Amino acid sequence: MTKGFASSYRLVLLTIVIVGCFAGIGVRLVDLHVLDRAALVAVADRARRDITVERARRGDILDSRGDVLATSKSVVVLGVDPQSLVPDDQVKWAELARLINMPLSELAAIFNEKERLPSAEEMDDGAEPRLIRWAKLSDAVEESTYAKILDLKIKGVYGNRTYRRTYPRNQLASHLIGYMNREETPVMGVERYADFYLRGQDGWRESEKDGLRRELAQFRSREVPASDGYKVVLSIDSAVQHMIEAELDRIAREMRPQQATIIVSDARSGFILGLANYPTFDLNNYGQAPIPVQRNVAVTDLIDPGSTFKIVPAAGALERGLVAPTTRFNCSITSIEYRGKVRRFMPDDHSYDHPLTVAEIISHSSNVGAAQLGMLLGERGLYDTARAFGFGESSGFPFGAESAGLFNDPSKWSGIDITRIPAGYSISATPLQIHYAMATIASGGELMLPQLIREIRDASDETVYTFGGVARRRVISETTARQMARMLQSVASEQGTAKEAAIPGYEVAGKTGTAQKLIEGRYSARNHVGSFVGFLPASDPRVVISVIVDDARLPGGLIAYGGRVAVPGFKRIAEQLIPYLDIKPIIEPRPASLVAKGGNR
Amino acid sequence: MKSTGNQAFVNQLLVFTLVMICLSGSVGLGTVWLRHQISVSANQAKQIDADITRIERRIAETHAQIAAEQSPEKLDQKNLAMALQLVRPQEQQLVRVAESPEERLLARRNIEIFSSDRRDAAVSFHIANLH
Repeated sequence: MTKGFASSYRLVLLTIVIVGCFAGIGVRLVDLHVLDRAALVAVADRARRDITVERARRGDILDSRGDVLATSKSVVVLGVDPQSLVPDDQVKWAELARLINMPLSELAAIFNEKERLPSAEEMDDGAEPRLIRWAKLSDAVEESTYAKILDLKIKGVYGNRTYRRTYPRNQLASHLIGYMNREETPVMGVERYADFYLRGQDGWRESEKDGLRRELAQFRSREVPASDGYKVVLSIDSAVQHMIEAELDRIAREMRPQQATIIVSDARSGFILGLANYPTFDLNNYGQAPIPVQRNVAVTDLIDPGSTFKIVPAAGALERGLVAPTTRFNCSITSIEYRGKVRRFMPDDHSYDHPLTVAEIISHSSNVGAAQLGMLLGERGLYDTARAFGFGESSGFPFGAESAGLFNDPSKWSGIDITRIPAGYSISATPLQIHYAMATIASGGELMLPQLIREIRDASDETVYTFGGVARRRVISETTARQMARMLQSVASEQGTAKEAAIPGYEVAGKTGTAQKLIEGRYSARNHVGSFVGFLPASDPRVVISVIVDDARLPGGLIAYGGRVAVPGFKRIAEQLIPYLDIKPIIEPRPASLVAKGGNR
Repeated sequence: MKSTGNQAFVNQLLVFTLVMICLSGSVGLGTVWLRHQISVSANQAKQIDADITRIERRIAETHAQIAAEQSPEKLDQKNLAMALQLVRPQEQQLVRVAESPEERLLARRNIEIFSSDRRDAAVSFHIANLH
């Protein structure tokens, strides 16, 4: 290097300048990174830190065949920042209004309102009008529509995505499924009971944002992905549910009842295949349904079971060996001496020319006969048997505010209760209790737990948990259950009270019930609860069906006997269920000669 | 001599400093480029993530629409509107096959082979040679 390249003076000066610059930068860095660090980091954190919550998708509710009953649909909450609107976009407003089904005048009013005036109280405090930066246009724009809105490229119009619960089958199984309200709170039914499984876990992401509040993806520091909710698979079958709801529609049209309930359950496992009430409501428009309509009356409302209760004294007396199916009772008497006092029976509708067997008491639905069976059991025996059948206690069905029913301890019974209770009066039960009492006979003597949830599946459709049939207790022996089934089969015979329920080839067993309604403290002669609770086939039960019609109005002022109002519905449902559930006839038809036979070898 | 040595040292220091500035500048530019690439990649990943979410949402929406269209109520309406006259099968229309359907189909398939008029026909079996 030559001497002339840089003189000593210039070199020293340059070195001092460079070193000075570096020193200055160093001092500033120390100032920023050491001395003011805490304050500056806090400012930067506040300005740039960005935590984004990632919403978990609520799990679907499926029926037993995997059809969707409730799902979460992505919708866009559409809004506008009126400050960002540009005049050139005004020609597109009409198309936007059309897409979101809003009158153009209303849309223009929202777009043109740039400031929000303070309230009177705020004005007193000297508040000034505030600029509107967000005005909602629609709270449920579908994704496909939103794509078209974005294509319009109207500056200032944008949306935020969210999930909204939707019920594709509208009113189907509404009382069982329940719904989510506007605040995304589960209100009733499976939505509420299985919320723990359905709701999922929101995720979140920590990162930084720029001056335009856009996320800087490279600065993502922590990320917890959202975990979608589990799917809940119900035991109800949409097709079965539709059948019973169509039948309820028909009952409502023809009989104009106050309310009605139909329940179908699997005889072996106790799982509910369908449960519907009239009146019902559309889950997507729950706000239009009054609260009483939203009540699951199958578990909340109490009715006198009427003659369907006669299975209890009969089964109890058979189980304890007090009678055989052929034991006869004089059912033409009007009173009897019991525990030293004369007790008057509830009169029968028919007179009999011979003493009735236990089977005939059931098939003719004799109040006098049932009372004598109750007397054989005694108050305590009848009470214990009825409790074992599930009367007077909650069945553990969690989808609705279940009532335990009204069934007093024998110490509180009046003198005539021993003649009334065996006939299904002076006792109140829910339709579900009545149904499962009959299901006890169909299951072979075990009181099954009413269940609705079959499986829990994760978001990738893997089964997490499977629920099986649960027997609450054994009520009667299998032998007694078989005897009862045979006797109940005679109800749907030519001599029984429900001969219209018979289906050729199938053994239909069941019991009609007609209970006078208690109105203003007195049993009404014009208002009845008619019911038919039965199962088929009697020797190998597959389904239990209950049809309960409350206060039907029949043409000509006919009394709404169970045989009139409930049996036809039972039969129509059973006839549809037979092919659908492939219930094979017990009396086999001749084998069809369709099968090709092999050669002679 | 001493002065010349000092100047040479300063010259070397100056050159070294300039080289270091160039080097650190290059490293700085490299770092900026690297960070930019990271940012680009992160934004691409974010965009892909958003696309996946958008598609999942569209799928969920489509599933909900399909479920609504498949409701028994809607199908009944379409049956009426399109005059298809579809009805549920009646019990009389059903023929129940008690035996195994596989065996029945097998018997039908083999009926020609085992029928009486083919009794003398030669039946050959091809057995795979495993060795």
